[in-house]
Amino acid sequence: MRGKVVTDSLGKPRQLGKRLARGGEGEIFALQGRADVIVKWYYPEVLAKRGETLHRKVEAMRALRDTPITRDVCWPLIRVFDHERRWIGFAMYRARGVKMGFLAHALLYERHFPGLDRRQVVGYLLRFVEIVQQLHQAGICIGDYNLNNVFCVPGSDQVSLIDCDSYQLRVDGTFYPCPVGSPDMTPKEHQGKAFRDIVRTPRSEAFSLAIVLFKCLMLGRHPYDIVGGDDPVRNLRRGNFAYGRGQRSVPQGDWYALWQALPEALREHFAVTFTGGADDPGRRTTLAQWHEALSTYREALDRGESPRDITPGRAAGFGGRRVR
Amino acid sequence: MATYRLDRDSDLIDNPSPRCACMLVLDTSASMFGEPIRELNAGVQEFIAAIQEDEMAACSVELGVITAGGQVTEQLPFTTAMNISQCRQFTASGLTPLGAAMTLAMDRLEARTAAYRQAGVAYYQPWLVVISDGVPTDEWERVAARSRALAQQRKTVVIPVGVEEADLEALGAFSSRPAKRLEGLKFREFFLWLSASMSRVSASASTTEQVKLPPTDSWDSI
Repeated sequence: MRGKVVTDSLGKPRQLGKRLARGGEGEIFALQGRADVIVKWYYPEVLAKRGETLHRKVEAMRALRDTPITRDVCWPLIRVFDHERRWIGFAMYRARGVKMGFLAHALLYERHFPGLDRRQVVGYLLRFVEIVQQLHQAGICIGDYNLNNVFCVPGSDQVSLIDCDSYQLRVDGTFYPCPVGSPDMTPKEHQGKAFRDIVRTPRSEAFSLAIVLFKCLMLGRHPYDIVGGDDPVRNLRRGNFAYGRGQRSVPQGDWYALWQALPEALREHFAVTFTGGADDPGRRTTLAQWHEALSTYREALDRGESPRDITPGRAAGFGGRRVR
Repeated sequence: MATYRLDRDSDLIDNPSPRCACMLVLDTSASMFGEPIRELNAGVQEFIAAIQEDEMAACSVELGVITAGGQVTEQLPFTTAMNISQCRQFTASGLTPLGAAMTLAMDRLEARTAAYRQAGVAYYQPWLVVISDGVPTDEWERVAARSRALAQQRKTVVIPVGVEEADLEALGAFSSRPAKRLEGLKFREFFLWLSASMSRVSASASTTEQVKLPPTDSWDSI
């Protein structure tokens, strides 16, 4: 059994609470007496293999802890050691809210976001784009885009990001890569390479971010889910986007109706980014352009010029069927 | 008869989650009579409950169950975990037609992945779990080669598990990885591991890469 007591850099012992999550690299624990703080404890085998590299990167991140970027991101704030004073991870603020993966899901969003409408979805996406823009301005890339690492607070437009120790950053001339990712969210030019060897750019980020936006506005559909086709990654490599102009190989059901309910400007951005932009990073919609298009959409929703229902024009919604 | 809530027509249309098909091929021959079959039943029930507790996994995992006990029975056709209301209890009797059971399992897996592609539903590598306490009593070598080939091509994750006096060599022939022996009757520990693995797979944003699985030391023996 692993000890449940950690110490801070002054050697003061702190009792850990419940284990909250198990990830690929470590575990997340509650901290007793501080409901707003959690501790990431890397697995012993991870520490044995690349503990020094991790420690250096987390220290470099900690150096930025007083900058505005850490406001909406669960940033490493405090060093954490085991009972023998070996570095084992860090403490950070706990994100509030619900995973964006539940927002972007036709069968789950209602349970987690009661009364959700398009105004709110677009509100979360605007916040998300703004947070990523702020990171980019500081030279930081997210790299590993994953809807389960974005938390949204139901009933507000608050968004925060977790799992940020994987971010790509450059501090004092040292480059720290983002060593993880998933092919389904990665642009073509970075496919088939080891993630730790990739240098993410604003253009590569814009592609992954567009997939996040698409999945949220399309209730969980991946832009490269295609009827009778290959897996999403093969379609992505070919720029084989089903929606675009006209309806080609769009999955059965109401997905095309959802697509048509989006404003033309947004559809155009998606179509360009996922077809020509798959091959040519320069053609991808930039974060500033996404922000503008989403803001325009939000204003139309605010003024009542665009329907706010998640599934417009269909009384029953998605088959009227919900999970129990 | 079983009372499954089958919503299979609309499910591939309305549910956008990438799928992880998980087929269980279970030896329910006479030698499993008594405590082994009771523990196996309990393990399967806990497996379903554990998957259903994880909403993402419940939308993603499609479970199928085929038993080999005297005859081959499809106990549960592929059903998304959130739509399974109950799974019947298995009884132990007869010989072990594992070859025929595996043939049916692989045919069903093939048909299911074809349906995914047809519907434009992304999917993770399907899982095929085979649990036996003996040796197949029918012709099995040909289907073992078919199953092994799929495992080698990384098209299917094949997990052979031997119980008590099982022939691990025969079971291992179904996969590219050696069969593991269940310690005692730790079916529940095995199925908890399986549900944790399914949770990890369905939480992954990646449908094409292999996911690092939890350690098996809670249930396997050396």
